[in-house]
Amino acid sequence: MSHLSLLLDLQPAAWHDPTQSLQFSTFLAHILVFLNAHLAQKHENSLAIFGAFPGKSIMLYSSIDQTKPADRRVQPDPNWYQPFKTLDAALTERIREEMPQPSNSSEAEEPLPVPVALVGALAKALCCKSSTYCNFNRIIQATKVEAPSDTPLVMPESRILIVSVSPDAAASYIPLMNSIFSAQKLKVVIDVCKIYGPDTTFLQQAAYLTGGSYIRMCFLQPPSVRSLLAVPTTDRVDFRAACFCHKDIIDAGYVCSVCLSIFCQPVPVCSTCRYAHLSTRLMRPI
Amino acid sequence: MPPRRAQDHNYMAVDSDSDDSFIVEDGDGDFGADRTRGAKSKGKGKAVQKGKDKGKGKGKEQPYSWEASYTRSWDAVQEDEGGSLQTAVEDLLARGRRRRLLGPSTAIRRTIIRHLILILDLSASMLDKDMRPSRFDLTLEYARAFITEWFDQNPLGQIGIVGMRAGLGERVCDMSGNPQDVLKHISDRVKLEPNGEPSLQNAIEMARGSMSHLPSHSSREVLVIFGSLTSCDPGNIHDTLDACVKDRIRVSFVSLAAEMKICRDFCVKTGGTFGVALNEGHFKDLLFEGIPPPVQTGAAATAKTGPGNPAADLMQMGFPTRLPDTAPPALCVCHSELKTEGFLCPRCGAKLCDVPTDCDICGLMIVSSSHLARSYHHLFPVKPYEVFMDKSSLTITSPSVCHACALPFRESQQSKTPATAPAEGLSPLGRYRCPDCGNDFCADCDVFVHEVMHVCPSCHDPKPIPQPS
Repeated sequence: MSHLSLLLDLQPAAWHDPTQSLQFSTFLAHILVFLNAHLAQKHENSLAIFGAFPGKSIMLYSSIDQTKPADRRVQPDPNWYQPFKTLDAALTERIREEMPQPSNSSEAEEPLPVPVALVGALAKALCCKSSTYCNFNRIIQATKVEAPSDTPLVMPESRILIVSVSPDAAASYIPLMNSIFSAQKLKVVIDVCKIYGPDTTFLQQAAYLTGGSYIRMCFLQPPSVRSLLAVPTTDRVDFRAACFCHKDIIDAGYVCSVCLSIFCQPVPVCSTCRYAHLSTRLMRPI
Repeated sequence: MPPRRAQDHNYMAVDSDSDDSFIVEDGDGDFGADRTRGAKSKGKGKAVQKGKDKGKGKGKEQPYSWEASYTRSWDAVQEDEGGSLQTAVEDLLARGRRRRLLGPSTAIRRTIIRHLILILDLSASMLDKDMRPSRFDLTLEYARAFITEWFDQNPLGQIGIVGMRAGLGERVCDMSGNPQDVLKHISDRVKLEPNGEPSLQNAIEMARGSMSHLPSHSSREVLVIFGSLTSCDPGNIHDTLDACVKDRIRVSFVSLAAEMKICRDFCVKTGGTFGVALNEGHFKDLLFEGIPPPVQTGAAATAKTGPGNPAADLMQMGFPTRLPDTAPPALCVCHSELKTEGFLCPRCGAKLCDVPTDCDICGLMIVSSSHLARSYHHLFPVKPYEVFMDKSSLTITSPSVCHACALPFRESQQSKTPATAPAEGLSPLGRYRCPDCGNDFCADCDVFVHEVMHVCPSCHDPKPIPQPS
């Protein structure tokens, strides 16, 4: 039994880029095939899909969600497995509703670019996981009291797949790292699939720290099966940090002892916390 | 015959003295007979009786903890009238919430680079069984849990361990930043078998000596787990206390027996905390209170504006290159073993097994950026969520599901029976509202966000980037 949280990076600016070959409709069709395959693997497999839109994050679909409005019920089709149809219809409809339309107005009024709320989506996915975990414990306690059974209930394995197209947002570094550490504690594996665009160091670290894969595609197997398969591993992870002053990636630098800001050269006063530093002149150059 | 009878009497007397637990019920008659006998046996009998009476008197009111039966932690939880544990669970939740609300919500200055010497009492008094299975075993067990959790929260810190045994301070483990290293040294209980008297002065002097070289921006902390009521010192311990105050060493005590004046003095004068453990659970709580990095106060905080603030400093750090599994094998500088994977020091190119550490060759502090990031949540905590109480202010448009996990809010059972007021700090509607983004979260998510994730799910939604014109 496995639970998959899928995080879709829905940055309209990136998807409308004419220079790249993959059309959004083709991409969506591939994703739906992937999700259907996940549901088909095992009857109990569950699914939650989150969309990271510019400036907001929304839960697009959840197979555990009982509070679905009735009007989303789709007509059964004899030639189509019903769960597939529900999923496909719900997902495409929700994306169409939420996707901001590109404005047709003149270039001067073009809205400012907004990074996608990837952290929000990731945080929500983790909250879902932790809530299901709490509810699961309650169910276990309840069933133990009522009817103790011999077969223990097994907590579903959980993993998160991030499909990313937009670059790193520097401002979200700290919350993103905090989310990654909590995923580590919850034993949730984070996989990252970079479709195009530059490599993101943050997501590389996310995949490395939680034992997932970072790759530009085999996300179908749950983590327990992966140890039996030869899956691609991440061997080159950039652990270097960017300095706060010039945003350069550095090998060695100076770190403020108060707020842990990183600088590429000694500074008399920290720009983040405004503490004055002593003894900067006494330091050996690195 | 008479000598034979005397022998019989003696035999009886010896029997009753040696095994007094068997004579509790019908003992009075025996002791009456004893009193008529020789002076020696009479004295013994009296002593036994006295002791027994005292024990009985105590037994009726409050037994000593070594006389009490083993209390299980689940016995302490009270069921409500319906036989449900719901009230007990909610009470625990509310307690956690209240504690969090007391905590600061704004960015505050904490000591991130910590150095701690854990002093373990290994004197004979640790063999007492007033904490089960024994003070010594429990201390070791909690010390291991403490070290694991401590390194999780303070990835840039270092821990050393000193034992107090047979009147000496004994170095159990050198200062190390690697949890596995430290845990290995206290994994073998036979090597740490308690013995003799403890010596506070010797142990604290040893801890002080091993922290004398540390730079001013790092904290110097000593945590003593103390089980005895005496200390066997070679000199004046008050001189050691003054030296600790001078060296800015923060000494904290967790006492397993009772409060001692000198221990309290150490904590008060050096700014540490002092606690006497009431039971096993309380012992753990006291110990784990020392895990979050301490807030910097007093001299360090007031010197904020002045240039002579000794506690702020720039640290040189190196961010290593990680070698993949496929790299050619090479000897590491820390264990001299042939290994493929590892980290390269950016300054001298030495190969290290694990980070964070200090490079053995050039002394540069080697960390990966994720270690720095792990400490950030102490510096920038999530604001506590407000308890949502007012049912009438809910409108039809307000969402019926938690903003984070999209599950419907669970209203507490108590709110349906208005006679019992819900516990303070708990929302009867199960809603907790973020003061910044104004979204509602359920109780599970509230706990998860504040205790594990340290990220509010909607406060970090990005804003439009103003473009430079």
